Amino acid sequence: MAEAMTSHRRRQSQLARREAITAYLFIAPYLLTAGIFTFGVLLYVFYTSFTNLSASYAAASARFVGLDNYIRAFRDSEFRIALANVFWYFIIVTTLQTIGAILLASLLNAKLRGMRFFRTMLYAPSVASSVVMSLIFLWLYLRTGFINYVLGTNISWLQDPRPIFAPLYGLFGVDVSSVPYLFRGPSITWVAIMIMNVFSTIPTFMVMFLAALQDIPVQLYEAGAIDGATGWKAFWTITLPLLRPVISLVVVLGTIGTFLVFAQISIMTQGGPLRTTLAPLYLIYQKTLGTGTQAEAGFGAAMAFILAGIIILINIVQRRYIEQPSDV
Amino acid sequence: MAISMKRQSTAQASAQPQRTPLTFGIALRYIALLVFSLFAFMPFILSLLGTFKTNAELTAFPPMLLPQQWRLDNWTRVWNFTLPTIQGPVLPRWLFTSTWLAVLNVLLRLFFCSLAAYAFARMRFPGRNLLLGIVVASMALPAEVTLIPGYVFYARINWINTYWPLIIPDLVVPFGIFMLTQFFKSIPRELEEAAYIDGASRFRTYWNIALPLSRPALITLAILQFQGSWNDYTKPLLFLQRPDLMTLTVGMAFFRFQYVNDLSAILVGAMFNAIPMLIIFFLFSKYYIEGASYTGLAGQ
Repeated sequence: MAEAMTSHRRRQSQLARREAITAYLFIAPYLLTAGIFTFGVLLYVFYTSFTNLSASYAAASARFVGLDNYIRAFRDSEFRIALANVFWYFIIVTTLQTIGAILLASLLNAKLRGMRFFRTMLYAPSVASSVVMSLIFLWLYLRTGFINYVLGTNISWLQDPRPIFAPLYGLFGVDVSSVPYLFRGPSITWVAIMIMNVFSTIPTFMVMFLAALQDIPVQLYEAGAIDGATGWKAFWTITLPLLRPVISLVVVLGTIGTFLVFAQISIMTQGGPLRTTLAPLYLIYQKTLGTGTQAEAGFGAAMAFILAGIIILINIVQRRYIEQPSDV
Repeated sequence: MAISMKRQSTAQASAQPQRTPLTFGIALRYIALLVFSLFAFMPFILSLLGTFKTNAELTAFPPMLLPQQWRLDNWTRVWNFTLPTIQGPVLPRWLFTSTWLAVLNVLLRLFFCSLAAYAFARMRFPGRNLLLGIVVASMALPAEVTLIPGYVFYARINWINTYWPLIIPDLVVPFGIFMLTQFFKSIPRELEEAAYIDGASRFRTYWNIALPLSRPALITLAILQFQGSWNDYTKPLLFLQRPDLMTLTVGMAFFRFQYVNDLSAILVGAMFNAIPMLIIFFLFSKYYIEGASYTGLAGQ
């Protein structure tokens, strides 16, 4: 009897071991690729951020320079300009795309004929790549383009470095060029790229909000109606609080997306005019590959890690304050 | 909220339209939706019309909605476009590269993601929860930040101007593992256990039973990954620097800098890039929107 038990147990553990080996074979491709290309590359880039690695990418010529690249990054005028630019981009784009997505999703959240059709039509533009949008808007934003025509303006949208807060400072008789760069606000060209980005990212977030809205039980609104909460009041007191987790997520995803803006700049402006559309990732790209400048891959890597740190910090704060109701 | 078969069926049920009397509020809602939909499509409509115009028409003010004369010149010109060092027209070449890369990436990712997901959802092994935790955590990190400085790494292993960096690092995407793990968990275990007890191996139960039952989730993942590969710009820009190797996205960006004033050609290029994606979208829009709402769930 006891013998049968032990042999049974041995067989069990043998089966468990075989199962574990099979499981590890199934996930081996992930472990290998993530180990080398996600974490390995991350460590390698982290290492290069402490060296003066340059264009030839030959490790032999790279010298260990300690924290020099990081210290230099914080003092570097271009990097500071890029951070100021991306700060405005992040604030304006995340705000507008989140509000726009909630409003469109609320509009679609009705048990009516044709809602599926409209959902499809509104979502469609977001499947086009940022390259496509950039190429199209390159034309629409021309001085002779449709956007000036419709707005009745005469602006070179993609070549106008004037800061948008300039008229505001003008009211108080302050010359905008005497104000620190960050407080001048984004340039007209930068705003033009922001609008294009909001336009093409709203649909994705709209669908996320719509899924969340459809999960809200109707009974909550029925109960709210008895207490006099209808229309806008119901939206503020019932819908928005319940959307909090999704709002938090959309803001976090939006933050990551806006801080990493790259393709639009690469295709439309290359950071110009007067560096007013220079974003950190584009600067890192220029420094790493040496396009239009001297290649300093180590310096680029240090800037990348500073950028990643900023994004993660902001995300932590966002998750903490948006996800849970603050008054609990 | 979890991804499951049940979720999909309820989402479909709730989307059933009902007959409601037309009130002022509802009419207003329809009008708003119509206006927004038209607005959303305007850039595509305008540039599609633009591809039939001459460069002079494209920069004329005030801009005209329709071309004075419908001509296909731009399309044939861009299609037959050649570059000095490359044999044959370059656009079909870019189109072909984008297509095979996207198809290959979809197939590889579906296979390897579902294989890993099956292990996470169904098998017991030491370190399972820790590894799944790493998968989920790696989705929340802004990993793209290290993509560009990582160029140095790929240069060291001589992968510049090869397709390897566009295939191998993303062979198994964390989002795919996560999504399919959730989906497999929602399938009743009994179906597989019967087969497993009958002596089928783990791989056979995965291949013959779990995969066929996961069709909707696999299609959703396939579409998202196709779009990701087809629309990708940063990676091909970094790693494919020779025009003969380029994909359509970087090819068009390259083109835009070579022929700054050839707007009609740039618009045709944008259409070549956008139209295949739009066709796939309209064919699979149901899965598409499911997928986009899953992206939301993944981050929670």
